[in-house]
Amino acid sequence: MLRFTRHHAQVFLVPLWRVLDRIYLISGVTAAVFMVLILVIIVVQMIARWAGFSFEGSTEFAGYAMAGTSFFALAYALGHGAHIRVSILLNLNRFTKLWLDAFATLIAAITATYFARFAVKTNFMSEMLNDRTQGQDQVPEWFIAILKMVGSAPSRWADLWASAGTEWVFTPVWVPQIPMSIGTVLLAVALWDHLIRLLVTEETAIKSEVVE
Amino acid sequence: MTELYATGIFLFVLFVTLSSSVWVGLALVGVAFVGMELFTARPAGDAMITTIWTGASSWTLTALPLFIWMGEILYRTRLSEDMFRGLAPWMRWLPGGLLHTNIAGCTIFAAVSGSSAATLTTVGKMSIPELRQRGYPEYMIIGTLAGAATLGLMIPPSLTLIVYGVSINESITKLFLAGVLPGFVLAGLFMTYIIGWHFLRKEERPPPEPAMPLSKMIKESQFLAPVLILVFIVIGSMYFGWATATEAAAVGVVGALGLAAIQRSLSRQTFFASLMGATRTSAMIALILMGASFLSLSMGFTGLPRALAGWIDGLGLSPVVLIIALTVFYVILGMFLDGISSVVLTMAIVEPMIRQAGIDVIWFGIFIVVVVEMAQVTPPIGFNLFVLQGMTKHEISYIARTAIPMVLLMIVMVGILVVWPELATWLPENVRQRPG
Repeated sequence: MLRFTRHHAQVFLVPLWRVLDRIYLISGVTAAVFMVLILVIIVVQMIARWAGFSFEGSTEFAGYAMAGTSFFALAYALGHGAHIRVSILLNLNRFTKLWLDAFATLIAAITATYFARFAVKTNFMSEMLNDRTQGQDQVPEWFIAILKMVGSAPSRWADLWASAGTEWVFTPVWVPQIPMSIGTVLLAVALWDHLIRLLVTEETAIKSEVVE
Repeated sequence: MTELYATGIFLFVLFVTLSSSVWVGLALVGVAFVGMELFTARPAGDAMITTIWTGASSWTLTALPLFIWMGEILYRTRLSEDMFRGLAPWMRWLPGGLLHTNIAGCTIFAAVSGSSAATLTTVGKMSIPELRQRGYPEYMIIGTLAGAATLGLMIPPSLTLIVYGVSINESITKLFLAGVLPGFVLAGLFMTYIIGWHFLRKEERPPPEPAMPLSKMIKESQFLAPVLILVFIVIGSMYFGWATATEAAAVGVVGALGLAAIQRSLSRQTFFASLMGATRTSAMIALILMGASFLSLSMGFTGLPRALAGWIDGLGLSPVVLIIALTVFYVILGMFLDGISSVVLTMAIVEPMIRQAGIDVIWFGIFIVVVVEMAQVTPPIGFNLFVLQGMTKHEISYIARTAIPMVLLMIVMVGILVVWPELATWLPENVRQRPG
């Protein structure tokens, strides 16, 4: 009888793991881009102030970029062992190293899934209720139209563009909330992924950076 | 009765999740969720995201990634070599000699970086081999370094203070300025300890350094000037009200990049390494803050913090007794948790308590930093101990023993803060602050 062994599992899983690792990395790079964006927004705002112009809504935009960098980097930081955990019991012996880690990853994965579920729900609700920002920040309508294209069928694209004007409108909250949805979903995926890797290979895939 | 029951459940779930090594940020989310489901009728999930989104996209928080990035850039430049070369000529004349480079180096690097581990590695990388070669006793090299590195948390920019300010909604600029004078006093205490060693343990002194002409001293210290200028711009712009904390951080990043470019130590590789490193650290702290904001909300619903504050108030403790009790509490907590986690975890409960007792929250921020600093160098979980173990290959227990005098000095520091609270409150009260 053919037994489904670890080895068989790995044949299927290793290519998948490579793809996932690539996705976490791309997400991390996106987060880094948002970090640079925070810097750019703040520098532009300072220059504008000295030059006597006003940059409406700069604080809100910087806040959105902040959310972008935090959420996109969640899964990436996990894989690099950047997230803090109490590891006294974990390092006790080989048994706890495997099974306590598996237990902790399971609890974390459940929590992260719950987190992601409500993040996505809130994101959709913001779009449905057409929530707008409380601040002075505005974005062009065509920008929103482009983002909406991603989430709708090509047959509706003509409609979208027809209704989108050339004006600037107060930022709909769902737009900056997209990184929250993507980031939390990726974190949940990453945690389930790490749990499976841990059980299949019996060693953690999280490579902690030694403090250089 | 409900409150007692609620406390029990919270503490139990928190203890189980944290000690079974669930990541701190997610553990807080989980505990808060259990609390919401058990004690309120409100839909937990929606309330969670509303709170987390408001916190995660807030303007105040943007100072955090930028200050982390600034430290990361300077950490990857030639700064550590320059620091030793620039400081050594000035320290050799002091009683205790080059050991003072540990303290002075940490003080300077602390002023460009908000983390104590980065401060420790940057300074230690150069000072440990140089001091060993000159024959200073090992326990003094390691001990003073472990202690002085904790200045990274106190002297602005400080990640712990940003996190504290965001949790209790207080001005980060004020907190930063509050840390300046106590930081210098603590550095002074460490230096006094070295001077004391110099006179009490004559037989351990290494041979004195050869003389050096003044012209050469100035020439050597030119390496240090750019960093000092950057420090003055960043802290000065906040003090004179030219910039908010976030803007000062942006200036710091641009300045650090410029400095690295002038030194020719800014390659594409170091640029990306600093950026990605900062992204990771920033996300780590952001996740803990997310969990903490949800936990505060959840605990607020149970009425626990108010009840506890009322109870403490009812005891009629004097503020000094309260501070002593909190010191003991944080030292014990710090044995198992890192500084940032222990701050965010306790703020929901401690904030109403200290406000009720009439303790200044800015002052309390500095107090809490000194106390969590102590935890960095006390076993079993002292982050600086781990870093030093990696660098020197000594046993944790040995490193911890060498740091005991420093821990005692930090306790003295708490006493000084209690007796002269103006040390922390004077500078922020005199700042010309911009709104926001």
